[in-house]
Amino acid sequence: MTTLETASAPATTTTPALACRGLRKRYGDVVAVQDVGFAIAPGQAYGLLGPNGAGKTTTISMLVGLLRPDSGTVLVGGTDLAADPTRAKAKIGYVPQEIALYPELTGRENLRFFGRLFGLPRRRLAARIDEVLDLIGLTDRADTKLGTYSGGMKRRINIGAALLHRPEVLILDEPTVGVDPQSRKAILDGVERLVGEGMALLYTSHYMEEIERVCERAAIIDHGRIIADGTRRELVSLVGTADKVELVLDGDVETAFAKLRAVEGVVEAARTGASSVRLIAEGGRYLLPALITAVEGSATVTATQVIEPDLEATFLHLTGSTLRD
Amino acid sequence: MRPRPVLALVAANLRRHTRDRVGLFFMVVMPFVSIVFVGMALGGGTTGSSRLPVGVVAEGSGPVTTALLAELRRHPDLEVTTMTSAAELRSGVREGSLAAGLVIPSGSTRLDLVVTETNGSGMAARSAIDVAVSKVAAVEEATRAARTAGATPEQAASYVRQAQAESGRVAVKDTSTAAGDPRGFAYTAPANLLLFTFINSMAVAAALVESRRLGMLQRALTAPVRHRSVLLGEALSRLLVALAQAALIMAVSALAFGVHWGDPLGVAAVVGTFALVSTGAAILVGTLLRTPDQAPAIGPPLGVVLGMLGGCLWPRESSGDVLNAVGHLFPHAWGMDALLKLAVPGTGIGAVLPQLGVLAAMAALLLGASLVLFGRRTRALG
Repeated sequence: MTTLETASAPATTTTPALACRGLRKRYGDVVAVQDVGFAIAPGQAYGLLGPNGAGKTTTISMLVGLLRPDSGTVLVGGTDLAADPTRAKAKIGYVPQEIALYPELTGRENLRFFGRLFGLPRRRLAARIDEVLDLIGLTDRADTKLGTYSGGMKRRINIGAALLHRPEVLILDEPTVGVDPQSRKAILDGVERLVGEGMALLYTSHYMEEIERVCERAAIIDHGRIIADGTRRELVSLVGTADKVELVLDGDVETAFAKLRAVEGVVEAARTGASSVRLIAEGGRYLLPALITAVEGSATVTATQVIEPDLEATFLHLTGSTLRD
Repeated sequence: MRPRPVLALVAANLRRHTRDRVGLFFMVVMPFVSIVFVGMALGGGTTGSSRLPVGVVAEGSGPVTTALLAELRRHPDLEVTTMTSAAELRSGVREGSLAAGLVIPSGSTRLDLVVTETNGSGMAARSAIDVAVSKVAAVEEATRAARTAGATPEQAASYVRQAQAESGRVAVKDTSTAAGDPRGFAYTAPANLLLFTFINSMAVAAALVESRRLGMLQRALTAPVRHRSVLLGEALSRLLVALAQAALIMAVSALAFGVHWGDPLGVAAVVGTFALVSTGAAILVGTLLRTPDQAPAIGPPLGVVLGMLGGCLWPRESSGDVLNAVGHLFPHAWGMDALLKLAVPGTGIGAVLPQLGVLAAMAALLLGASLVLFGRRTRALG
């Protein structure tokens, strides 16, 4: 595991909204999850990234009480999930990846069902349903059957059902799969608002940009283990800070290429075509003027592209590019 | 155990069922279509007073044959049909169109009775035929005795008429027809109650499969709800559907067709226990199947087959010994035994305790097995 013992760990003495330590689950000879642990403070959004089959779902199942870990502990707002599951579960709002709702019932009836499961009294529940419907923007469609909803609307009700009891921690498992950009934006806006109001968030997604937008910290899990954990900047730094610079040249490309390799800061250079080169350079975006000046007299730069290192690059670097499914 | 989550599951499931129009049609309309049409085919009526069809092959035309035919035709419980061959008569009994058959050979006093011994109507017809034959035999014996004592044929006939007039003062009321199953709506109402309670329980098993497929049960288990509350909520939902179906059929058949169900306590016990059997079967099917489409494809046909074996689709008299014996491996036959017995005036719950015991054992077995399996599956899903 790549541990980042930095100031990124929540600098607070507040009891974590969700903490797990030493989680392990084994199916026969296969160890699905091994020694998984992290903590999420109130008001903190934490991403969990991993390829298919990496152990995300098993980990989440243990966190929400659907699976009993072989070893390890889960504390929800300081309550041990194994010792007092009823109290611990009352603090969790879990949104599964599937649309786990009754299609024959209306949106409001689905919310009422989940509210009653969480033991909300009738009058309080009615008011809370209205609040949640307003939050997810479905007040107008509340009394129509869920089966008539679009995919994005179903996703929003799916999330709303987990918010009725005002959980301390919200666990979202791929909440934007299959939704249109408008619905995705609405979901992400809503999630950010909840985190801003102090709710802790555990967010899994295959969309790196969502993790980068919503989460201040993230862990990358692979083969059942957390292999990296930190802020976005810390995770990205694991693959270095060098930018990728792609140039298209016109003129004496061979000579220009030799001159580019000699520029200070360029750590790697390669010809990618008859007139194009790719450079790996520390602070490449700032080096661009020097690169253009360097080739003067031999060639002219007709096009440039600077690619900064991102979470996706880190993810692929750490987990590999091999297909998992 | 907190009741709120259990009630939440029950309310949601019942609401889902009320929005299933096809399911409602099969619950509210189909049972009565079946009760009316099959009831009319069996001879409409609410009691067992219909006359029993008896075939007679008379190979001669002597005075004994004539007297016996006349006596059989006079019997109030028999509908006598004269047939041309013994083979035709046996075929009629075998197929169930005749309750019994009688071959009267020419020049012999040895009669040939054709009847299915385990068939209630057959036994009732046999009893009525015995009465008629005994009367004719008694006249023959009395005539022979008078002739032996020296009376002329005219005197002998006069003595016999006098003896018949005297014996006529003694009313012999033959109640053996009560041993046979009732006909008309009195039969089809309990038959369809059992049939549709079971079939519709099987059909709603689809909703349980759907709940599993949607991940609803898993999600419910992430709430502060005990596992057994989820099991209870799902089981109670199915039980209420079964009881509602049974109550609807009882109420409508009593009001619209004048069906007499019998001792309320006994009927409630039998119907309640049968509803538990249906619930157990529904949860078992809902747990074992993988997709909701499999439930209507497997559940109702299974209910129809068990209904056939239990005498819910046609009178058990027509099924024969083997099928009736096989039928008693399943709950419908025991339910029919109990409900038909309770319909006889003066019969209380004590008379159906054996049937109730068997049904209760089946319910315990099915519910126990299904809940254990369902519990394991829902945990394993996690």
